Amino acid sequence: MTEYINALLICLQPINLLLILAMVCLGIVFGAIPGLSATLGIALLLPVTFGLSTETSFVLLLAIWIGGVSGTFISAVLIGIPGSSSAIATCFDGFPMTKNGQAGKALGIGMTASFIGTVGSVAIATVLSPVIADFALHLGPWEYFSLCFCAITLVASLSKGNIFKGLMAAGIGLMMGCIGMDPINGATRYTFGNVYLTAGISTVAQMLGMFAMCQIIRDNARGEAKMPDADVVNMKGLGIGFRDIFENLKTIVFAFLSGLWIGFLPGMGSGISNMVAYGYAKSISKEPETFGKGNPAGVWASETANNASLGGALIPMMALGIPGDGITAMLIAGLTIHGLQAGPLFMTEQPDLAMLIFACVMVSAIVTYLVQILTKRWFPYILKIPYHYLYTVILVICYIGGYGISNTMFNLYVMLALCFLAVFMSVAGLPTSPLVLAFILSSKLERYFRQGISYAHGSYAEFFTRPISALLLAVSVFCVIWPFLSEHLKKKKAAASAAN
Amino acid sequence: MKLRRDTVTGIVGLAGCAFFLWASQSIKQPAKLLEPGPRLLPYVAIVLVAVSAVALIIKGVKDRAQEEKPYFPKGGIKKITKSYLLLVVYAIAMTWLGFLLTTPFATVALFYDLKGNSRVRLVSSIVIAVLVTVGLYAMFVYGFQVKLPAGILFE
Repeated sequence: MTEYINALLICLQPINLLLILAMVCLGIVFGAIPGLSATLGIALLLPVTFGLSTETSFVLLLAIWIGGVSGTFISAVLIGIPGSSSAIATCFDGFPMTKNGQAGKALGIGMTASFIGTVGSVAIATVLSPVIADFALHLGPWEYFSLCFCAITLVASLSKGNIFKGLMAAGIGLMMGCIGMDPINGATRYTFGNVYLTAGISTVAQMLGMFAMCQIIRDNARGEAKMPDADVVNMKGLGIGFRDIFENLKTIVFAFLSGLWIGFLPGMGSGISNMVAYGYAKSISKEPETFGKGNPAGVWASETANNASLGGALIPMMALGIPGDGITAMLIAGLTIHGLQAGPLFMTEQPDLAMLIFACVMVSAIVTYLVQILTKRWFPYILKIPYHYLYTVILVICYIGGYGISNTMFNLYVMLALCFLAVFMSVAGLPTSPLVLAFILSSKLERYFRQGISYAHGSYAEFFTRPISALLLAVSVFCVIWPFLSEHLKKKKAAASAAN
Repeated sequence: MKLRRDTVTGIVGLAGCAFFLWASQSIKQPAKLLEPGPRLLPYVAIVLVAVSAVALIIKGVKDRAQEEKPYFPKGGIKKITKSYLLLVVYAIAMTWLGFLLTTPFATVALFYDLKGNSRVRLVSSIVIAVLVTVGLYAMFVYGFQVKLPAGILFE
């Protein structure tokens, strides 16, 4: 508790509060503009943190994250295009509300639901993470290997379209993780005599090349940068009252709990939780036919769930060092830049910094809500920012970041090569999340596996005889088999119904 | 016969596997290890990609009769190639001439490349480009203590 209060006091120092305010505003802009995202914002900020203290770096990264995740509902409500996949369900009723002249109310619901989701889930993450981390300290390399393996297979199997695309992306991520020195013997792999590659591929170069640069040139080529104008009236005030919250309490509570749980699971996150919560809200409604035509419950459900996933994703990141999605992978990369490693040891050995992360998320959520209340009437203008100027500045910042990693041009060329790879992957329909997760976890996966075998004197049996490890491996196998099994069952069912 | 995207992805994946399998042979494997050694993860990754690549090729061949929507609209490939080449030229120029000399030119070029249907005026673009360059230089060099490339010719 003392550590948490100290961390809160650090966040409330005027300079940190100012940084949070600035980054939250920037995050809201990044979240609101379709095509940009909190992920991209963090990727751009990572190189900025090289010269800053760990505390300041995390204040910047977390504030832009919270602002970015919260801001995604703005374009979903105003123009019917979600800022990211986490706000897809918000479009279903948010945009019809705008068309019905209720844009102010829809934005008010979006802001308040985001606030409830973030604050509640982070409070739970703050309490639960140390408990889980304490438990995780008793686990051995066998369980950690199985956990990393499970996270990668879960993300790969949940990939859109085809499981083989997810597995291929994970394989590419593992291959990229092999570049450099191996974590146990120090043998060099795939360096081709290049000294710069000995340290491996920089995570920052990867994020900038594969997310920021690729996204900008790809969207430009696909003609996805132009947005329609927002048609808004009645933007004064918050737009909602306590009555609105109480009327939708059941929806909010379910959306919150489902968002928290889905966020906790690797690979699922806010992109799925908003759809699940929306589906539930519709199923319990007395007027399900009004969904899709501007029912406020749809916005409550979607926005509470996607922001609750944020706190859910913090738990495995902080307690186990396992990133659940691209954003938490980047936050882990941010810790690595400052010589820290997320996980149970981090929670117990650096409780001050761990609590600073939770406190900063909490303060950022409050600042985000206040900023949104005060600036709500200007939201339509965010969507009118000239894209060619904004994107150009982002590309130049990518170059600065690429150079700043090691003060050599080498990483800039790595970034360009990874941008090319990311464009190819987009065209091929290969998802980037499994690649990022496999890349980040590759060294842990290898180290724990090889340590596990060494500790067991060359035996592989421990992975299957230790209960937690066996359970996690069983979940992994199930994740890989399930898509085929479900397809087979569907075919069988269809054949049976056709025969009848 | 036009190949589907899945088939092409599979073929590229297999070619990549062949290359990395060849490169894996140069990884030194210490003798008398209790554990599988440094070649394990590369081999796992290669097998994973190879199996997925074969599955994608099979899927592509199976679905070959189905119509496939092009990923980029008309002119999109030309556009993305142009943007990518512009970025490569910017990187090469920055290597030799440094950040301050190249960024204003690259910025103006990027304004025009990314403008879509918007109108861009040359004079205002130049002014913005110079302001962006100076602003970012000051912010990163003096604000965040991040070094920027001076260029081989000026080092």
